[in-house]
Amino acid sequence: MTARTVISEYVLEPGTGKAIELLTGQILRIEQVEGGQCADFNAFNLHDYKEFMHCGRTRTVHGFHPTAGNFLWSAPPRERAMLYILEDTVGRNDVLFPRCSAYVYEAAYGFAVHTNCHDIQAEAQREYGLTPDDVHDSFNLFMCTGVDQDGHAFMTRQTTQAGDHVDLLALMDVLAVPNVCGADVMKTSNFALKPLKLTVFAATAADMALVPSTPKLESQRTPKDFKISAIKSDRPLRRDPAYRAEFPNTPIRITDLPVALSPDEVALFNAVKRSDIYGDDDAAALRDLLFSWWEERFLQAHAGAPAIGGKS
Amino acid sequence: MTETVITLRLNQQQLELMDRTIAQGVAADRVALVRLALREYAAVRQAEITAKPAP
Repeated sequence: MTARTVISEYVLEPGTGKAIELLTGQILRIEQVEGGQCADFNAFNLHDYKEFMHCGRTRTVHGFHPTAGNFLWSAPPRERAMLYILEDTVGRNDVLFPRCSAYVYEAAYGFAVHTNCHDIQAEAQREYGLTPDDVHDSFNLFMCTGVDQDGHAFMTRQTTQAGDHVDLLALMDVLAVPNVCGADVMKTSNFALKPLKLTVFAATAADMALVPSTPKLESQRTPKDFKISAIKSDRPLRRDPAYRAEFPNTPIRITDLPVALSPDEVALFNAVKRSDIYGDDDAAALRDLLFSWWEERFLQAHAGAPAIGGKS
Repeated sequence: MTETVITLRLNQQQLELMDRTIAQGVAADRVALVRLALREYAAVRQAEITAKPAP
């Protein structure tokens, strides 16, 4: 097998982050130096920063802990696979928690100033002209999280060791921005700040062959498809007096569909209908049954997620 | 034999999904699709009940 070519290496010191131009077909390895360190990560389309990684879409497709074999997706209406997680020696990453922020450390711990992922990201992104408002929800590498019985996200300690790493393969030219998580008074990084090593490789043909194809659909829109394609350049919001609403598929029109059921079918229906939700409204219960059946029989994705070739 | 008529209220998007499903040859028409859904949905639920071990 052909070895990967190293393009660059960099050590992220505690309290810092680095914006890296990661071109299509390049791999960013984020690696533990000592072990036990969380990394936060942002990513933007290098040629259009308005397309950025979307943790919400990523978690609906891949769950709360994306790992090797999963993609990092951009936000609607772009919804493209930006990066592919090629390798993950730990398998415990997070898309539940937002980045930590100065507000968290002031409100919860009383710090006037404290290392925090939002401000570290903002400072790293400033090298490319982005503002603190451009920092987005982070993909949190090596962060050990879950959801408790009350529905709150929790974090706990991690067990990563020196050399553990995650390899992110760029599927488009991106500005990749990892940072050493600033949390030293939480369990996130086992109560200490440690460096992380960054290595950029050129992917080999074997690496590229591992990437599954994803659907290319009309609904993946870009600025050329927008009614307003220019980026708004001032801060106040003002109503456009010429605006006329053009919501798709509206107005919603209702059509009656009478369905005659035999006594046997009525018996089947009465046995399974969701009276707990719909009461005596058999029409609503039968509509629920129809589309619940459709989901069971035809849906190729988790509910609410796009189908990308299996329930990954 | 007495039939019971239930009138579904469906919007154009729901009808489109039904029609695309029908076009795959799953059922002859919209009513047949609903009746198929009922039979298959109930069969799955019945199978789940049958498979569940006695308490």
